[in-house]
Amino acid sequence: MSEPAIVVEDLQKYFPPAVSGWRAFLHPIAKATQCALAGISFTVQRGEAAAIVGHNGAGKSTLLRILATLILPTRGQALLGGCDVEQDGAGARAKLGYHTGGDEGFYTRLTGRQNLEFFASMNNLAGGEVAGRITAIAERLGIVKDLDRQVRTLSTGMTHRLGLARALLHGPEVLLLDEPTRSLDPLGAAEFRRLLKEDLVGKRGTTLLFASHTLGEVEEIADRVIVLDHGELVANDPPAWLMAKAGETSLEGAILRITRPKVSAKALP
Amino acid sequence: MSGLRKIAAFFWRDFAIARAYRGALVLETIEALFGVATFFYLSRFVDSPDLQRMLPAGSNYFAFALVGFAFFDYLSVAISAFDSSIQEARQNRTLEALLVTQTPLSVIVAGSAAYPFAALALRTCVYLGWGALFFGFAPRHADWIGALAILAASILAFAGLGILAAAYQILFKRGNPAKWVVLGVSGLVGGMMYPVAVLPGPLRAVARLIPVTYSLEGMRASLLEGAGWQELWRPIGALLIFAVVLIPFSFVVFGWALRRTKVTGTLTHI
Repeated sequence: MSEPAIVVEDLQKYFPPAVSGWRAFLHPIAKATQCALAGISFTVQRGEAAAIVGHNGAGKSTLLRILATLILPTRGQALLGGCDVEQDGAGARAKLGYHTGGDEGFYTRLTGRQNLEFFASMNNLAGGEVAGRITAIAERLGIVKDLDRQVRTLSTGMTHRLGLARALLHGPEVLLLDEPTRSLDPLGAAEFRRLLKEDLVGKRGTTLLFASHTLGEVEEIADRVIVLDHGELVANDPPAWLMAKAGETSLEGAILRITRPKVSAKALP
Repeated sequence: MSGLRKIAAFFWRDFAIARAYRGALVLETIEALFGVATFFYLSRFVDSPDLQRMLPAGSNYFAFALVGFAFFDYLSVAISAFDSSIQEARQNRTLEALLVTQTPLSVIVAGSAAYPFAALALRTCVYLGWGALFFGFAPRHADWIGALAILAASILAFAGLGILAAAYQILFKRGNPAKWVVLGVSGLVGGMMYPVAVLPGPLRAVARLIPVTYSLEGMRASLLEGAGWQELWRPIGALLIFAVVLIPFSFVVFGWALRRTKVTGTLTHI
């Protein structure tokens, strides 16, 4: 069996408390005491699609951002494509594509093509190779005819696809998506899910790790569900197993059973 | 792909964005004319035999102030180019997208400053051009090669300060008191509007500790007096010493600031 695409071992992340004003001035380097990830471990095999679910604040985005090398873990280790995300961030970045659902991070006065050309050069792609890749990815994502429009004139769905195109430009082995359909309408979201499952994971063998609050999406795409609860990993199973283990007929019921809700119904006035 | 090619990619990105705002470019050019006109009329008011004795031989106060103002403007905005690039990328949400590419943040910061440096050089030329066209600024004896050498040494000396400003921006997000202090002190004692010689002794000593003084002295010597390398090596040498000390130090501070924000998770916070 080949080496897993993602290996996470006893990963912990603590953040310093948010302070402002004089406190921030007097204590510029506060001790990290707020737990976001409490020592989680899991692996994702190559070509697998795994979903991370959990309540808001469970640690989903923190986990993805550590894997994307945007933040550093407090303790533990994460390997992406065999590269340690802390010790060999550049190696890990060469193997990953990262995209968030609310992604509007484009130069809006430039066209979609100009944006993609710029980000291609940031990913060490140059020359004639870039134009060919942009055209091929744009065809797959259905954005060819909008590529030469300024990004500010594109719809949310088109901008979203452009974001995915950017994440795929350098042919990453692993795709990390944070709430990938958050800003899409239902039809657009369905199309996007089909693209992820059938094209990227099914045909191309890309490893997919995505965080989502849409459980229908999780059932449709994920081979396995990683459930986080207050920074702890409480389940890591295929959706059907998870439901069977929890004795529930729906994924929603299973996740509610094994996690602690942030607000208790009894606490409501 | 080499760092230089990536810096070129940043340059063309910013050039394409600037082209999309043509109106702003025209307004800035006209604004420069008003600035130059103000100095011209101010110089007619303050010109006196005492002042004339302190100015470079063969020049007048207008030429002195115009060169001082144009290059001080260049250097002060150049310092800001580094931290502005971080702030802008954070605000338009491109910083996160850039940070997951295979380009280190040091190249991102340097690349983001490439276009502003070039555009500012053009703006400085516009200032001097308006002065020559309408107000009698005539750098007949200018040593343009020497001026370019002073400019290059100044950019290196100021890059270190700019990278320190970027480190502050990464850590504290807004405001930059250190930059304001540097620019405030530079404006006061660097010789932008008056010769350093008119300052009291202690301030003259402070002037010797900041790079702006050497930039303006060198630039005036090359543009207004046509000074050769024998006179220019002193300001160029001083500027290169600032560069040798400040650039490695600023990269160490910048690296620490970057790691710190990755620990606190605040790198992309606004």
